[in-house]
Amino acid sequence: MIEIEDLKKQYVSDDGTPGGGIFGISFDVAEGELFTLLGPSGCGKTTTLRSIAGLELPERGRISLAGKDIYNSATRVSVPMYERDIGMVFQSYAIWPHMNVFENAAYPLKVSRTRNFSRKEIHEKVVEILEMVGLGEFIRRPSTQLSGGQQQRLALARALTREPRLLLLDEPLSNLDAQLREQMRVELKRLQQEWGVTTIYVTHDQSEALAISDRIAVMNEGLIAQIGTPKEIYNRPTSEFVAHFIGKTNLIHGDLAADATAGALAKVTTELGPLQCTFPAAVPATGNIAVVVRPESVVIAKQGGAEAGELSAVNRIAGVVRNEIYLGEIIEYMVATDNGTEIVVRTPPGKDIGKDDKVLMHFPPKNTVALIEK
Amino acid sequence: MTTKPEAIDSLWMPKETAGFWRRARSGFGYSPAVIILAGVLLILIVPPIIFLFQTSFYTTTFAGEFDKFTFGFYTELVTNPRFFNNFVNTTVYAVGSAAFAIALGTAQAWIVERTNTPFRQYMFLVAIISLGIPHVLYTIAWLLIMGKAGPVNDILRAITGAEEAVLNVYSMWGMILIEGVGFAPLAFLLLSSVFRSTDASFEEASMMSGAGISQTFRHITARLAMPGIMALMLLIFIRAFESFEVPALVGLAGGINVLTTDIYESIHMEMPPNYGQSGAFSVVLLLWVVVLLYWYNRLSRHAERFQTITGKGYRPRQMDLGKWRYLTAGLLVLLFLLIIGLPVSIVLWASLQPYYEGVTAGSLGRFTLDNYVEVFKAGSFRDSILNTLILGTATATAVVPFTALCAWLAVRRYKGGWFLDQMATMPLIFPAIVMGVAFLQVFLNMPFALYGTLLSVVIASVVREMPYGMRYSYAGLLQIHTELEEASAVSGAGEVGTFLRIVIPLVAPAMITCWLFLFLIAVRAVSMPILLVGPNSQIVAVTLFDLWENGQVTELAAMGMAWMALMTVVSCLFYIIVRRYRLSLH
Repeated sequence: MIEIEDLKKQYVSDDGTPGGGIFGISFDVAEGELFTLLGPSGCGKTTTLRSIAGLELPERGRISLAGKDIYNSATRVSVPMYERDIGMVFQSYAIWPHMNVFENAAYPLKVSRTRNFSRKEIHEKVVEILEMVGLGEFIRRPSTQLSGGQQQRLALARALTREPRLLLLDEPLSNLDAQLREQMRVELKRLQQEWGVTTIYVTHDQSEALAISDRIAVMNEGLIAQIGTPKEIYNRPTSEFVAHFIGKTNLIHGDLAADATAGALAKVTTELGPLQCTFPAAVPATGNIAVVVRPESVVIAKQGGAEAGELSAVNRIAGVVRNEIYLGEIIEYMVATDNGTEIVVRTPPGKDIGKDDKVLMHFPPKNTVALIEK
Repeated sequence: MTTKPEAIDSLWMPKETAGFWRRARSGFGYSPAVIILAGVLLILIVPPIIFLFQTSFYTTTFAGEFDKFTFGFYTELVTNPRFFNNFVNTTVYAVGSAAFAIALGTAQAWIVERTNTPFRQYMFLVAIISLGIPHVLYTIAWLLIMGKAGPVNDILRAITGAEEAVLNVYSMWGMILIEGVGFAPLAFLLLSSVFRSTDASFEEASMMSGAGISQTFRHITARLAMPGIMALMLLIFIRAFESFEVPALVGLAGGINVLTTDIYESIHMEMPPNYGQSGAFSVVLLLWVVVLLYWYNRLSRHAERFQTITGKGYRPRQMDLGKWRYLTAGLLVLLFLLIIGLPVSIVLWASLQPYYEGVTAGSLGRFTLDNYVEVFKAGSFRDSILNTLILGTATATAVVPFTALCAWLAVRRYKGGWFLDQMATMPLIFPAIVMGVAFLQVFLNMPFALYGTLLSVVIASVVREMPYGMRYSYAGLLQIHTELEEASAVSGAGEVGTFLRIVIPLVAPAMITCWLFLFLIAVRAVSMPILLVGPNSQIVAVTLFDLWENGQVTELAAMGMAWMALMTVVSCLFYIIVRRYRLSLH
């Protein structure tokens, strides 16, 4: 549906020093897919989005939408914004204060160059879409009297009224409070699926990205670090950056004696002893391995307890609980191993384990991921 | 928090007083600071108002004392058809110059704030340097350029072959043109902040809805900026309504009278001075300005509503104009020529001539520096420059700390703080010439000799500039979050300690620019000092005015050049500090 190829754009500040930007971004988004650009601020995700929208002019690369180039530096094509057929929701919503709810949503139809819509058509379409986003009863309300959540819905309705091929969402939930954000997250996903519109979503919030995306591109310093489904990104990070950015993680350094093939298990010698690890990518023998284990993948049992006996002998490590944090639905333990490494463990509450208890931990090999350290 | 012995205020004042400060704040009474400041404000502001109204209702003796009560001055106003004629003149002139200034300012502000035109960043410097050019000098420069013997008419005569001057600048359109260009820098500075504070994503959202640049400009940019532009247009209309330089230098010579020149003439052209008449004129002008300012307040509040809706993701955006940017750059160069280039060139030319006969080939061989020697020689010229420096320094130095304290008490909602705010802002309703009339009466009726002294000019000037200092400080202090002060209080500092150690350092850059700004506007004023100065308290702007009336163009030009050079240093300093600390210009 949309293809981005080797997109580059560098910012230069007023005094001439090179600033941030994007340095060669490539990805494809399939029809109807919700694709997320995820990364810390300044990673280039918004620049990528604005380049697709036509709000920024990249330096080189190619963007094609539905088989047609809308930007191509090689053939010097840059289709103007109003011909791109893209809808966008801005971070600030950009709801025009001098128009009411209806006028805001109707604007794309009024200014349309491809077709002249009759008043009746505009009215029907706009009312339909406002009802869909739950603003049916606010049609004549001045837009300055809307709450944050309502402005957000209106911005979405406005982006959808002319039924664009592609919908761009620039941190659409970041201006809402936490509770509303979760609610709107579900609703956004529902509307996107109902409408079936191909969507590119920009956010810096990893839990938001995991919850709503079909696929995620994690970005860092102007480059894509990894593309994959939420599960792949979470469970099989291919770099330390991704592992750290997507949730809490344990990182253990080690050596790999023999070459490992992609997808296979191999033994890594670490400071905690030998560990059986999964290799998402082929790695040659190296002394530079990072082993990543998510806190909730770790199985924990009290030494001498009944559960300890059932624990697999592979990847088994002994330690002492230094601290426990009760978080409601889960409990988090800080476990110090014999050589002093701290391992974070998350588990449902209910285990009879407390501070200063001696414990055994098991890292299941399929969830113990080994990467080349950067 | 009260027991910490190092806290500055516990050394500075006894415990009970410290308690009193806190109690005052919590609403049991007025803080002594509020009472003292309110007293000073009342002493400064109430007498001129009383004397102004009294003057308009009493005949005066030859010595200037009030004589008999009368409504005569008002009935004469109402029955004299000239008054209505002049009122219409004033309105036409003010509307015309406001519209012209806004047109120039809008174009300039849009080009500078929203496009990628080359040189755009220098326009702020141009606008600020133009603040240092006295309005009198600027008006005179345009009269030299467009006057009967000026280069514009020379060229037109050469083209058309006419014997007489083709353009008569001493006319309504001449007044509008000169005043309009004169107000363009102010319009630009104010409008650029309107354009800057409008979230660019409003325009981007329109582009993403499928609208082109022109549709976006019509439906979004223009509509959003309109309330702000209207409010500023009204503000400049008010300023033009009260302006004096152009009406006095251009209008009077062309037989076009406006209200401010009527006031001036009834004091300066009649013998004995018709104080009562000037008072009645002043009261009418004052009331009219009050009405206009009320409208302005309502309009600008409406304008602000449009600007407060911006969200977090705000980022300024510049439109890429492509090849058109050379055209817009050309426009900026043209504006530079109109605002600084041409006026300064003609004054420089005149200052190097032994006698002035326009821009002719013959005068090329007569360059001389004699005029500059005359200006720097000990004597009235040099005295007047010194007097003006004293006036500017004294005014700014008195106003800045005074209004900063008032503003702080008002911003932090001390009991009675709103009163200080209102009182210090009130002189804004006085057109400068009306304030001149009012203070003239105050000083004439003082038991001790104050009239004609430099001190009297300084006092009037302090009252006149107070509103600007107040607005400037108020805006600066509003930006300091209360928590910064509360953190200081929690750390053990008292009220005074917090003010000295936290508030003052934080607002210092704003206060310094405020000082420079007040200095610049205090020294360029003519219309108020022209009624107050005496032979020993001449100031530059008034001297320039008198020299023009006497036809001493070359000395005037040399003095003007010297003064502009001095003021350019001050305005560049202002510019540098504003840039350095990223302060907003208004």
